[in-house]
Formats: sequence, C-alpha cells, structure tokens
Amino acid sequence: MNLERFNELLLKSIGVGLAVADAQTFEVLVTNDCWDDWFGREEKSVSLPEVFPEFDVERLEKRLAAEKPYLLDVAAPAGKRKISLAAKISRHSKNELSVLMVECQNVTRIKEMEYMIQSYSSMVEKQNRELRREKERVEKVLLNIMPKTIYDEWKQFGVTAPQRYDNVSILMLDFAGFTDMAVTEDPPALISELNDIFTSFDRIVEQFGCERLKTVGDAYIAVAGISEASPDHASNIAAVALRFLHFLTRRNATHHQTWRCRMGLATGPVVGSIVGVQKYVYDLFGPGMNLAARLESLAEPMQIVMHEEFRALLDRSFVVKDLGTANIRGFGEKAVFQLVGSDEL
Amino acid sequence: MALPLFERLGGFAPVSKIVLLFYHKVEESEDLAQYFEDVEMGRLIDHQTKFMASLMGGPASYDDATLQRIHMPLEITNEAFEGMAELLQETLEDFECSPEDIASVMHEFRRRRALVVHP
Repeated sequence: MNLERFNELLLKSIGVGLAVADAQTFEVLVTNDCWDDWFGREEKSVSLPEVFPEFDVERLEKRLAAEKPYLLDVAAPAGKRKISLAAKISRHSKNELSVLMVECQNVTRIKEMEYMIQSYSSMVEKQNRELRREKERVEKVLLNIMPKTIYDEWKQFGVTAPQRYDNVSILMLDFAGFTDMAVTEDPPALISELNDIFTSFDRIVEQFGCERLKTVGDAYIAVAGISEASPDHASNIAAVALRFLHFLTRRNATHHQTWRCRMGLATGPVVGSIVGVQKYVYDLFGPGMNLAARLESLAEPMQIVMHEEFRALLDRSFVVKDLGTANIRGFGEKAVFQLVGSDEL
Repeated sequence: MALPLFERLGGFAPVSKIVLLFYHKVEESEDLAQYFEDVEMGRLIDHQTKFMASLMGGPASYDDATLQRIHMPLEITNEAFEGMAELLQETLEDFECSPEDIASVMHEFRRRRALVVHP
C-alpha cells in the first residue's frame, strides 16, 4: 500500500461528502462515495447549481474574491425525509488549474437540537411572562391592603416595623339601627346594598386622595395622611364625610331601604402596622382611632361630629356648628362640633 | 407537593434526549412516518418537544381545543394512535424510567385519544 492508495481509500470512507468541480463551468468532476450516496451518481455530468438549487453564483464569487469559503445550507433526500447538510465551497489553484472543492457535513442532528432548544426556550419564555403577570396581579392585591412604603419594606425584609404617624385624620362611620335591619330585612339583599354603598364610598374616598383603611361589618373607616403626608388631611376627610352624607341622602330618596349613618372625625397620633403572620391586615392603633370611634358613637343619625383639634385644622370654607362639650372616655371634657356643610361642595 | 416527572428526570437536558429518540423512532416507523411526511423539520421538532413536555408536566401544554384542531384534518386511525403509544412506551423503557412514571405518562397520552383520533 502506498500513500496515494491510502489517500484514495481514506477519501472513499470518510463521512463527509466531497466533490471537486470546475471553477468556471461548475461541472462536477470528482466525487466520493459519501457524496454519491447523498446526491446520486449520474452517467452524464452535472453542475453544482443542478445539485444545489440554493446555489448563488454571485455570492460564491463575492466570497471567493474575499478569500473566504462559500457556505450554504442544503438538504438531501433520504428515504421519506431529508437530511440537513452544511456545504463549504472553496477554491484551490495549482499552476494554471483552478478547481472548487465542496465539503458537505451532515448536520441533521445539530439542526434537530437547534430546533428543540428554540422550542423549549419559547415555552420557558412564555411561562416567565405568565409568572410575571401573576406577580403583578398579586402585588396589586397586596398594595390594596397596605400602603406602598410598607409593602416595599415587607417585600425586602419580610417584616415591617410599626410606624408612627402624627399628622393624620380619621373618619369612622357606621349605620344606626343596622343590627335591627339585619335581623328583620332579607340578609343577602341587605348585604348586597351595603356592599354597593361601601363601593360608592371607596370611589369618593379615592377622589379626595384618602384611603379606606378597612370595613368591620357595617362600620367603615377611612384615613388621610398615611400613604402620603398631606397638610390638607383634615379638609380632605371633612370633604369625604360631607360627600358620604350627600350620597346617602340622595340614595334614601330613591330607594326602599333607608340608611342612616353616624360619623366621627378625629386627628391624632396613630401607629400603623401589619398585623398577623398568616393573614395580613394592615391596621392603625392609637388615640386618633379611639377618639374617632367615641365621637362617632356620640353622633346622631346623619350627623358628623368632630373634636376641637380637628376643627382647628379646617379652613373657613367648612361650616360647623358648636355642640358644646362632651365627656369622652379616655380623653376627658372636649369641645365637640358638628360638620354641617361646605361652601365648595 | 410531588415534583412533576419533567423535573424529576432532571429538566430539559435529559428530556431532550427522550424527545429525539422518540422523534427518530417515529421517523423510521413504516406506518407512522407518513403522517409526518409533509411537516417541515423545525415544526415537527417543536411539536414533539411540546408534546413530551405536556405529558411529563413540563412548561407547556396543548389545551384540548388546540389538540383537536391540529389533529382533525390528519384522519388518524386508532391503529396509528396505538402505534404511537407503543413507540412512546419503548422510548421511555429505553431510558429506564420507572414503571410508575411510564404508566403515568402512558395514561396522560391515552387520555387524549378522543381529541387525536379522527379516522
């Protein structure tokens, strides 16, 4: 065996399809067995463009001129399906003779993997998008329960420190005679009405830049100055109170069931905190809350009652009526006032 | 909460081998290859990947309406369906999946018979 014979055998046996073609006419001159298996062996001569429908002469010239090989993806039929091949065409010259060398590698397996990775990554990306949307939804719900600063703190540390607020106003409302109503009227219909009323309250509260803290049965508590500090917290809450009265008065005129509320407005220091471990509730504690509750219980139906310090924060556009003094448990004698109306509303 | 088979097998890397093996078995099968003749490779691989992922609890699933819509025009027979089932079982056995896991994947596959078979 000599080197020439060895090379000949080698050429026959490797798994790369090889061909040599004329650099001018592109006529295929020599092929190896692998090439023949893929592209068939004709008696007549074939040219490269006939073997490869994708063959682009211009691109070939351009690449060869830049001394780079011309690469193209081709397919060869194999039984019922096709195999993917990567063809590399380069030019070789010796003396006056110039030929094109064509090497074809079977890249079917590689292509399959490529497609599978594509498929899988698009699945995962879709899932990630859905997870992000879900996360946003959950965040939205949590932001409804607590102020954003508290939420950020909780998200970062897993716990929150109770925080004191000095310049806040609180509105406490409940309905006179609700317990009796609940017993005698149709309960589901009653609750449905209460829900409608509270929903309308929520809209009014939002309009004036306040927040609903919570509802407890038929009691509704709104606050101002928690999420965002504001010098107008008292005026905003007072405006909300008047709007609530106005809303209920109009509603009572057109509905069968009469709803008569009592309201207490107070200002004072409070401490806000997330309460509980399994179930999250954001709640406020402190003299401000207690005072609002006691003032509310002093109120007549459809009356809004406030204390001296709250009145002091209101501007002149609000109309108040002096109610004298009252002994408020825990606070002693306090001057109390009724909020009657406003020039602006 | 038990992890889905997809995760227990080790995620996409090992599952990709299962997908490829199944794909090649189908390609070489006399009876089943005809259903896939005109489907271009990229689409076919995409289908097989999502198919396997949905049977194993991976990050994708075909909903019932989509499955029905894709298979209706193909006029797949019960024999062909069973042929696929056999190849699927063979593939999972080649990978030495546990009998319980094989049973649960086969169950998921057969559960969708009515959506796929439209002779």
